[in-house]
Formats: sequence, C-alpha cells, structure tokens
Amino acid sequence: MRRAPGGGPGTPDTSWGGSAEAEHERPDLSVVVPVTENPQPLDEIYEAFRAAFDAHDEVAEFLFVSAPWARGHLAKIRALARAGHPIRIFEVGARAGESDLLLGASGYCRGELIVTLPPYWRIQPAEIMKLVRRVREGAALASAARGQTGDHPLNRLQHWGFHTLLKRLVGTEFQDIASGVRVMRPEVLREVPLYGDAFRFLPLLAAREDFRVEEVVVQQHPRDRRTKVYSPGTYFRRVIDLFGMAFLTRFTHKPLRFFGLVGGALALAGATLLAVVVAQRLAGTPLANRPALVISVLLLVLGLQSVALGLIGEIIVHFSVGEARTYRLAEEVGGLSRGEPPGSESIPEPPPELAEHRTQ
Amino acid sequence: MSRPKLSVIVPVLDEEDNVGPVAEQVRAALRGKWDWELIFVDDGSEDTTRTRVRQLSQADARIRLVALARRYGQSTAMQAGFDSARGEIIVSIDGDLQNDPRDIPRLVAKLDEGYDLVSGYRVQRRDHLITRKVPSWVANRLIRAITGVPIRDNGCSLKAYRRELLERMRLYSDLHRFIPAVAAGIAAAHIAEVQVRHHPRTAGTSKYGLTRVGSVLVDLVTVTMIRRFRMRPLRLFSMAALVPGLSALVLGAGGWIAGALAPHLIETGVSFLTVVVLLLALAAYLLMLGLLAEFVVRARRRGGRPTIPMVAEVSA
Repeated sequence: MRRAPGGGPGTPDTSWGGSAEAEHERPDLSVVVPVTENPQPLDEIYEAFRAAFDAHDEVAEFLFVSAPWARGHLAKIRALARAGHPIRIFEVGARAGESDLLLGASGYCRGELIVTLPPYWRIQPAEIMKLVRRVREGAALASAARGQTGDHPLNRLQHWGFHTLLKRLVGTEFQDIASGVRVMRPEVLREVPLYGDAFRFLPLLAAREDFRVEEVVVQQHPRDRRTKVYSPGTYFRRVIDLFGMAFLTRFTHKPLRFFGLVGGALALAGATLLAVVVAQRLAGTPLANRPALVISVLLLVLGLQSVALGLIGEIIVHFSVGEARTYRLAEEVGGLSRGEPPGSESIPEPPPELAEHRTQ
Repeated sequence: MSRPKLSVIVPVLDEEDNVGPVAEQVRAALRGKWDWELIFVDDGSEDTTRTRVRQLSQADARIRLVALARRYGQSTAMQAGFDSARGEIIVSIDGDLQNDPRDIPRLVAKLDEGYDLVSGYRVQRRDHLITRKVPSWVANRLIRAITGVPIRDNGCSLKAYRRELLERMRLYSDLHRFIPAVAAGIAAAHIAEVQVRHHPRTAGTSKYGLTRVGSVLVDLVTVTMIRRFRMRPLRLFSMAALVPGLSALVLGAGGWIAGALAPHLIETGVSFLTVVVLLLALAAYLLMLGLLAEFVVRARRRGGRPTIPMVAEVSA
C-alpha cells in the first residue's frame, strides 16, 4: 500500500487509526525505534524520517519501544500519537536490551518491510530510501554504512580496527556493521536468533542464516559525528562482543574444535614444562619448591578444563541439533517440494511480554 | 509422485564436469531394477554444477536438485539429501566418479539380508599415497580401535541405508566421517561391509587433504564421547576426575606421612602443596561439569521419548 501524495511532515495522518477499514490496511514500512540509551529528540527524528517516507509516498507506522525508566523520553512522541500520527508506543515490563526491545516490537509490526532506527541521529533521513529500494530489489536486509568522515581520528581508527578484526575473525567484510539503521524483510527477525547485544551484529547473523545482506553507503548525519573519544570500556565491550560472535559463527556446531585447540595447547605446554622440571630433578635439582612445577601443573589443569568445557559444548550441540534442520535450501528442483515452508504473509502473533500503550 | 524404492544421494561441490557422467552411470547401473530417484545436493558450488543438474532434471524427472544456500560441508549436505529422499533405501555416493554406481545393487542386496547400513570397502584405492591413502589408513585404524565398530573403510561415501535408520540419527558438523560409528552407537544399527570398486578422479579437484587430520582427531573424541556417554556424562567426567583426584590424594597423603616419618628423606614445600591443591581442584571441577552435563541431558530429554531407539517390535 502506498499513500496518495499529499500531507507533509508534521501533518497528522487522519486516516490512521480512524476507521476499522483503515486499521486493517497494511503499511509499507514499520519503523521500530528501540529507546534504550539517552536518546536525542525523538520527535525530531520521527518528523525527519516521516518526511523522507512521505516524499516517496511510503506509508510508514512508527513503533517506539522502551523500558519503563525511559518513559520520560517519549513525552513528545506520546503527544504526536495522540494527535493522530502513525505512532505506536510499547513498554517492556523489565530491563531489556536493544535486541529484546526490537524482537518484542517486531511481533506488532504490520508493515511489508521493517525499518530499525536507533534513538539518535545516524544518517541523513532522505538516505533511508536507498535501503528500502535495495530490499525491494531483492536483498533480505540492507544495512546503512556511514562515511564517518567527521569523526575524531581515534574513533575512526577504532572503527577501522573493529571491522578489520571482524573480517579476520568471522571472514565477512562489513564497512559499518553497527550503524543500527537497517531495512529488512520481516522473516529476518523471525528467523535470526537475537539476544543480548546481538542486535549490533544483525547483518552478520542474518548473512550466516543465508539471508542476502547488503550494505548501502549513505551520508552520515552531522549530529552523528563523534568528536569525543570513546571510553576504554567501549573498546573492551566491542572486542568481547566480537570474540563472542566469532566463536558462535565458527564453532556453533563443533565447540570441541575450539576448546580442544586451546586446551590442547595449554596442556602440551604444561606437560613439556613438567617433563623438563622432572628431568632436572633426576639430574639433582630439588623439585618441591620450584615455581616452574606449579606453573606446569597449572597449565595442565587449565588445558584439561578447557577440553572438558568443549565436551560439555558437544553434549549441548548434540541434543540441540535434535531433529531440526541446520541448513537452508536455496532451491529444490524435481519431485515434490519438501523444502522450507513458504513464508507466511500473515502478521505474526505478538509476544506476551510487551504491553502496547494505545494513545489514540 | 509415488515413493521410489531407492534414493541415490550425491553431495556435490564444484563438480560441473562430473554430474552428467554420474547421472548417466547411475541410470545405466539401475536400469530395469527398481524405481529410483537421484538427488544431487549442491553444497554451494561456484561453478555451473547447479545449472547442469537443473538441465538433467528437466530431461529426466527422476533426477532432482537440492541446492543449499551456502557451503555447509559434506555432513550437512548429506543430511539435506537424506531429508529430501523418498526412497525406502537410501544410497550415498561421491560426486567425483571415484565410486562406481554398478556397486549399488550389491549394497542393496546385502541390505536386504537384514542390515540397517551397508558400507562400501574400497579394495584397490586409486588415490594419492601420502595425502589420501596413508592418512585414511591411520584414521580407519584409530576409529576402529576407539569406537570398536569393525569397519575398515569409514571414508568410503558409497553406503546404503534403511530409511528407518536415517530417521533415528542426524548428521551435523563433520560426522559424515564416522557414520558407521554413529549409526551403531546412537541408532543401534546392524552394519555390514561390502567390497566396492574405486576409480581415479578424472575431472574436478579433490576437496580433501592432510590439513584435516587434526579435525578428524578432535571429532573422534566427540564421537566417542557421544557414543558412550551422551546419556550418562557424569560417568565420563567422574572417570576423568579420578585421575587428578587420586593423584592428589596419593601425593598429599604420601608426602604428609613420609614427611612425618622421615622428614630428612622427603622433599616437601609450598610448590608441592600447591600442586596437590590444584589437582584436587581439577577433580572437583570435572565432577561439577559432569553434574552440569547431566542437567543438560535431563533438560533436553524432557519429551518422554525413549533414549534408545526401538528397532523392532517383538510379539509373543
């Protein structure tokens, strides 16, 4: 459904939520804005992106989803919703991360495509249509890649280091995986396992689930330019996230390969050192008070612990695989189709964790 | 479309020059014998393999293409073929023409004697000695010794399975190298081995090499653990904990007693005591992991399904 031309930004869409017929019309886009951190003015972001969609006759519904503590940030959005703007507001009952908020809201999305926006400026609003077009042309997910030319050099260096490490560890190249501005088909959110901070890596996870993922270079918004240097904690969290993601993408079905490699190396080092100190004991050097003895046994113990963890991982994988398919088919030719069931066009049932606050 | 007697599964990766001859050889080998279907499972080929199989399928409805969305590896490709197969008997065969489809009837005949799985045994392998035959010989000996399943050629892809067997097991990771061991250990399969022909590769390139030796060794540990301890992991971890636990007890008690009786003869010190404590800690850690593993198994088995597959109903 595309809106008939007319009605500029800031103009209430009087058809929204009006008649029962209009209520059941399916918008072109569902724009989800998870409100987690200190947001920039959400009403300005809403107006700017709505104007961008209106300019291309795209009918968009906006879903703002937040934790109770962020309720205050939504005052202006609430007022806009009351005035008839296509806005729906959701609140989770407990502390939740961006992934939880997004997943929860996705159950209420009625649009043909889902757009995710962070609660702060990232890209020039008009650029969002590049992503929408890319998905309509066949991609399952289009992710915005900002130029970041105005950022502090240290931040740009961090950005480059992060993505270089990502490419080395995971083997997939992204220019700006964490922009948070994405357009996707609803099935991406239905099928990609998201939790915790995994939202940041959604393009990577979607690609691993064999969805066609494309990055689209867009203009960065001037207010996104970070002239301050990130805190050391940010670097630490990014690297930890990266290692977690690399482990999950490479060793999900073979954890013993990872833990066995690490454990084997530690145990080998420990055994070698132990052999050396025992040999020296036989040659006459006293053994009982040598730190090398403790270090060698410690390495052996750590190695065995790592291998044991790998075995636990294998047990979990063995029972998790169960009868589920661990692959996705691209094509099946000949015979009766026993491939993936076709994607349902219906709107999925919303999860019970979210409470919708209808403000109209 | 009726269910054929036989499904032949061929996992392929960049085998554009081989899929046509494989189809022709299978057609010739099975002509006039049973209803059959031939399923090429394309594991993310980057050449024209998929197009060629599509053309083969258009010319002969018994030929099917199952194309994976990306490269998953041979185990997953085989499992995708098993999932798509409709035959009562399922045969897997390599897509490089090194197996000979003329051996399929012999495998099926053996299966009809009452076996669940019949595995091919390449008598005269036509492979490179150093990169293929020697590692394979070592791996087969190891697998045989560790798993206790007396199969001489685990690496031969030419195998025949009963559908019921494949419904009781799933391949993932790189388990295709250990199918007989997995089938015997998890699905209680009756297994036989039949000698088969082997030809040198004439087209395409081999996807195997010495680099996989380490992975095979690690997978062997996995398979052994899954076969023997998947339903009682605490036993595995308890046995593992015994070694450091007993060592700590012997070292600690022995050192203490000897130190008390003859302090001038025995060396004791802080490092010695630390080693004893470390070994005790390792034993405790392994026991706790065993309990955790039991918890995982219990949580996963909550469906009330039997833990050992029912092979056949025996009436009075």
